[in-house]
Parts: sequence; structure tokens; C-alpha cells
Amino acid sequence: MKKDVNSNRYIFLYATILIIIVAVLLTVTALWLQPFQDRNKKNEKRISILTAAGIPDVNAKNAPLLFEKHCTGSFLLDESGNISESGTLPLFVIDRQISVIPMQGNGLWGPIWGYLAIAADGKTILGANFDHKSETPGLGGEITTEKFKGQFSGKQILENGNLVPIQFDAITGATKTSNGVKEMIDNTLEKYSAYLTRIAERGE
Amino acid sequence: MANLKKLIIEPLRKTNPVTVLVLGICSCLAVTAQLKPALVMGLSVTVVTALSNFIISLLRKGIPNRIRIIVQLVVVATLVILIDQFLKAFAYDVSKQLSVYVGLIITNCIIMGRLEAFALSHGPGESFLDGLGNGLGYSLILVIVAFFRELFGSGTLLGYQVIPQSFYEAGYQNNGLMILPPMALIVVGVIIWIQRTRNPEMQENNQN
Repeated sequence: MKKDVNSNRYIFLYATILIIIVAVLLTVTALWLQPFQDRNKKNEKRISILTAAGIPDVNAKNAPLLFEKHCTGSFLLDESGNISESGTLPLFVIDRQISVIPMQGNGLWGPIWGYLAIAADGKTILGANFDHKSETPGLGGEITTEKFKGQFSGKQILENGNLVPIQFDAITGATKTSNGVKEMIDNTLEKYSAYLTRIAERGE
Repeated sequence: MANLKKLIIEPLRKTNPVTVLVLGICSCLAVTAQLKPALVMGLSVTVVTALSNFIISLLRKGIPNRIRIIVQLVVVATLVILIDQFLKAFAYDVSKQLSVYVGLIITNCIIMGRLEAFALSHGPGESFLDGLGNGLGYSLILVIVAFFRELFGSGTLLGYQVIPQSFYEAGYQNNGLMILPPMALIVVGVIIWIQRTRNPEMQENNQN
């Protein structure tokens, strides 16, 4: 008996079997590759944190080792700058003195994020690292370049115990992205201000 | 045998999917700012066209005609998701650079075009070679475009500095325009121009 390839019964059966095969295949692959993908994401985060804190030559291979060596603590802070289990503000301490805080904001086309490393005195920026999802290459995308990131080193964020708004050279042609970076840094510092003023006072 | 060889060689030249059929232009603009993502994208598209051609050709006698496009899409989408997952696991940097464009391989007209035009009417072996050839033809153009864009846009190739520092000291500057997508279109245009000048039989007769 020859099958009728265009009967409804055959079409439904065909589609069902095809979908089941595909679904099983994709599930198995996703589960198998999950650990590798998680490791990559974790590494990327470590690289960003270490680079912001000024540790040279971090790459995907040596990141886990360097992170182990340099990161002396990671905490959650609450609004008033105390370490607490229920806090919402992550903080990474590098070499016992540098505070690295994560930032999130909006660029022109999508999210931008980064890490800000603050020196032991609590008021000097040691370094910054930015990344973006979909800023324009050559314009907003320039926030990931050394030239842009480098200018943040040495900037003062506290004056007489008060936060000062960050100032930096924006990127020509990427006003929205530059504003996004400024907003992101100011907002983040605002949230961490209690913690920062405390370490600044302790430093004096 | 000569026929099989033709299946791979022809799409590199006279039936090139990008410069002659003008398919896959969108991704060609998007991923050619640097050589490395272009290579990975070319490789990914080649794998997808070859395998999807092969699979569809195997299934061609059993595919119900009324849902044939859906079946093709399911096969292509599965392959693309697999590649995306593999890149995320083993080539994370590149997968980040390619971002959404890996997923958009699904919409690359070359793949569906070859499935409809070739795989549905030819055997698995031939279809596989046809897919391979068309994928390579696409990759070839991508790599040529990326080569020029990275060289003149960033002064590097595969991330290594190629243009010596002394050039910059003498006042040479990277051409920022090369990094922007329109430049890819212009480079593709120049390639088409050269190709057609060298093969006069490819020129359309527009004198009417």
C-alpha cells in the first residue's frame, strides 16, 4: 500500500514525530553544554572585575586562577553600606583594599554595564571597565576601548564626604551612550555612597 | 566526477550566492567589521547549508508538500540553535561578537533558497556538496570584505596589528568609515564590479 503523503493524518503524524526528535535533540545538547556556557559567563565576569582593578593580562585561561589569588572577598551590601545577607548591592574586594562595584545602565540601543574599581581611600577611581550589548561600533561601541576606559583612573568621586558627579570626555557622535555611561556611574555611586563615605572616613 | 566538482567550484565564482544571486547581504554587512567573526560566521553558514541540504534531501520523498516550508524551517532552526549553543560553549568571545546574527542565520536566504531550488530535487550527496559550495561561496565574499574592512578600519588582521606604528606617527589614520556597515555594501559592490568586468557574459544587456 502506498502512503498518501498529503493526507491530513500523515501530515500530523509527520509533524509530531519531527518535533519530538528535534525537541529531544535540542534538550540533550543544551543540558550537555550548560556547564561550559556557565563557565564562560563566570570567566567573563572575572575578567571584567580584574581588569577594572588594574590587574594586567587577564584572559579566559588564567582568569580563574588570578581571580582566586586576587579576589579576597565578595559581599552583598545593604542600603546603609553594611555587609548583610539580604543586601542587594554586590561588592568584590581585590587584594584586600580595592573595592570593585558592578554597574548597570542604558546606552542608546540597549543595556550597558561595567565595573568600577575604587582605591583603598574610598574616593579615587582606580579603573573602570565597560561593555555593551548593541551600541554602534565606532561610536557608542568605543566605550570598551582603552582610550575611553583609561580616562577614569585617578578621578575623585568624594569631596568633603559628599559625592561629586563624574566628569569625563564624552565620545563625539555618541552623546546618548556617553550620557548613559555618566548616568550609570552617578546612579551606582549614589547607591554605594554610604559604604564609600565610610571607607573614606576610615582612611583619614 | 567533474559534475560533482562543479557543484562546489561554481558557487565560488559564477553562481556566487552573494555577488551574483545577491543573497545574504544583511549578515554580510553585519559581521564583516573584523576578520575573525566573519570566518566563524562563514563557517557556521557553510555547516548549516551543507547539513540542512543533506537532511532535507534525505527526507525529500517523505515531506508532505503542504508543510514543506515548515519542515525546512524546523530543520534549519535546529541546526542554527545547535551551532549557537556550541559557539557559546566553546568560542564565547566570537559568539558575543556575532550576537544575534547567529540566530539570524535562519533567515539567511541562501539556505532556504538552496533547499527549495536544489535539495528537494537532488540526492543527498549532491545536495550536501551544493550546500557546501554555496556556503563556501558566501564565506569567500565575507572573508574578502572583512579583510579590507579590518585592515583599513582598525589596522589589524585577526586582531594582530598589521599596519606598523611608524605609519601612525607619520600621520596615517584608521578609516572609521570602514567599520560602519555601509562600507561593507560598497566593498561588495566593488567585488561585483570587478567580477563582472572580468566576466563580460555575466553583464545584463540593458539597451532597450
